[in-house]
Amino acid sequence: MTTLRMREALRDAMAEEMRRDEAVFVMGEDVGVFQGAFKVTEGLLEEFGERRVRDTPISENTIVGAGVGAAIGGLRPVVELMTVNFALLALDQIVNHAAAIPYMFNGQARVPLVVRMPGGGGHQLGPTHSHSFEALFLQVPGLLVACPSTPADGKALLKAAIRDDNPVVFIEHESLYGTRGEVPEDGEAEPLRFGEAAVRREGGDVTIVGLLKMAHVAEEAARALSHEHGVEAEVIDPRTLRPLDLDTILASVRKTNRAVIVEEGWPHGGVGANLATLITEQAFDHLDAPVQRVTGADVPMPYARRLEQAAIPHEEHVVQAALAALEGSI
Amino acid sequence: MADVVMPRLSDSMEEGTVLQWLKAVGDEVSVGDELVEIETDKANMAYESDVAGTLSEILVQEGETVAIGIPIARVGDSDGSARDGEKDAASQPAGPVGAGDPPAPAVAKASSGPVPPTAAPEAPADGDGHRVKASPLARRIAKERELDLTKLQGSGPGGRIVKADVEKAKAEPVGEKGFEPAATPAPAAAAGPAVETAKGEISYEEPSKLQSTVARRMAESKATAPHFYLRASVDMSEAVSGRAKLKELASEGSVVPSFNDMVVKACALALREHPRANGAYRDGRFELYSRVNVGVAVAAKDALVVPTVFDADRKGLRQIATESRALAAKVREGQITPPELSGATFTVSNLGMYGIDGFSAVINPPQAAILAVGAIEERPVVRDGEIATAHLMQVDLACDHRILYGAPAAEFLARVRALLEEPLSLAL
Repeated sequence: MTTLRMREALRDAMAEEMRRDEAVFVMGEDVGVFQGAFKVTEGLLEEFGERRVRDTPISENTIVGAGVGAAIGGLRPVVELMTVNFALLALDQIVNHAAAIPYMFNGQARVPLVVRMPGGGGHQLGPTHSHSFEALFLQVPGLLVACPSTPADGKALLKAAIRDDNPVVFIEHESLYGTRGEVPEDGEAEPLRFGEAAVRREGGDVTIVGLLKMAHVAEEAARALSHEHGVEAEVIDPRTLRPLDLDTILASVRKTNRAVIVEEGWPHGGVGANLATLITEQAFDHLDAPVQRVTGADVPMPYARRLEQAAIPHEEHVVQAALAALEGSI
Repeated sequence: MADVVMPRLSDSMEEGTVLQWLKAVGDEVSVGDELVEIETDKANMAYESDVAGTLSEILVQEGETVAIGIPIARVGDSDGSARDGEKDAASQPAGPVGAGDPPAPAVAKASSGPVPPTAAPEAPADGDGHRVKASPLARRIAKERELDLTKLQGSGPGGRIVKADVEKAKAEPVGEKGFEPAATPAPAAAAGPAVETAKGEISYEEPSKLQSTVARRMAESKATAPHFYLRASVDMSEAVSGRAKLKELASEGSVVPSFNDMVVKACALALREHPRANGAYRDGRFELYSRVNVGVAVAAKDALVVPTVFDADRKGLRQIATESRALAAKVREGQITPPELSGATFTVSNLGMYGIDGFSAVINPPQAAILAVGAIEERPVVRDGEIATAHLMQVDLACDHRILYGAPAAEFLARVRALLEEPLSLAL
């Protein structure tokens, strides 16, 4: 075990997989010489050379398209897009090609492609750089979606993504790149399987599901609920949205009878909207209150600092939602 | 969707009884429309709606009593959906999306409309066919335990029955078949078969809200205010002859002040000069009031209410007379409103019209004193060693010794007597 920042853990995941498998290579805007806009590919060019760490022009659809082709041809590309917002330029390649080709060709062609992209707000980068599109990619059948919140999960999931034969949208959070955590070194741990949620905190009163940065906000809220309200919340980080470890979430809801879902994305058609439906469909008779959602504001991400902060969920919103779910019970 | 809650219609109101719904479910309600008639501890009032829309749900039925602040009905938009900006936060995602943000698209509202009555045919419904609001979990537990959800009180949002309510019902004694609430007020007991006792058959009556209030406040007064009594005999001869003259002079239909009006005026003038009598002992302090408001006890249908003549010290006798008659008429017709029953700083109670010589009254808390007035009788008196006749009236002042002591009370009462014996001074 060693203590790493999220960006270092992700870098190590790529480096280890590149050492293990000649077919793995990295490409994207500024990933080589500049070592990545968020310094996630630091040191890779030096170790693996220009052939496997490729700087590309600013042309997202082309970069992902090249990745799709390389993946079909037998390589395992890891494509970096500078932000989630720019991934929209490559939606054609991601949705119409990467996700659809294995289906269209009945599995004769595989697309073992990883598209990494950082999202989320909090850095005053305005509405063109700060969004959370987990729900957008979650909707597409054929894509796997990862959303790690800790350095250990980031490393393990990225290694698993690279080894998976399906195309993976790997969503990172800009605010979490500096987060430190214990991370297993190469060979110390098996790559994490997709579809295994983590129970970050056990509790019997209310289930709080949070992803990416909101997994941390959910834990803070759970502490506040315990200290200030005597409410013991169970906090679950799904870690991957597709496949989703619904069993763990449902088991928790059956225990607590109440659920709060926290995400940074927009409310309509969001991760929470989807999960709330799944919970209602599959645990209806166990619910003692409507599933509560805490989401980002229904606006493009504001630039002004205070407005931006006001558009992002914070601990107190999660506490409020949990107490609302508990009304009449405490 | 807006909740209509049990309003606070008087200072001392803690709960109210829905007497009659003046609108039915489905009716359009405008702001200012009379929505419901409510019995408070002081009066029956028609409550006017302060929201507009369709009356979508009646939560408290006629005859039921709830604490102030408890929702008694729901008013929604004409199409049954919730309105923007109203307190329907439960159906919106919490967090940054909410009040103060741009309104959510219409699609968000579609889910927050009322549940169609046909949505769950297996769900228990109350007598009017409305769906009982219960969480899915509460519903399941109730089904397993054979509990009747319609008998439970919901403590969740909007009165929703949640797990805790069903668990509580489980914990309470359960009858042979299902759950019978023990806490329901039992008017049935009143109608039960009469039992023969040494006192004969006992019948029971439920006191009205007003009667309960009288019982509570009178007991509280005697238990907490140390009463003492001063008695005086007032020579009303001048007042009697003066009033006879007024009556002669009065034109058709004009109001002639009664003796009680004179007593009210005399008390008001004396109260102005004796601040402790125009106060209250409250929370360990003397409360002294700048206004002199005299309450006049009036017997109402099977009850007692005390409408207030405000600023009686500054009003002429004729005005006091006019107001007293109007207030008494309102009491008899049940039209008196809580503001007209509040704010008195002293009370006059008169049983003279029943031929009562005099009596000791119970102080109307938290006031300092009450004046009990008896009948005016022509009696023999000794004046300058001669026996003569005079119109005498006995008055008894009950005082709260915590604020009004013997000597100041005696001075106050002497002043009242002096004013009544020289009634011209009342006209000044």
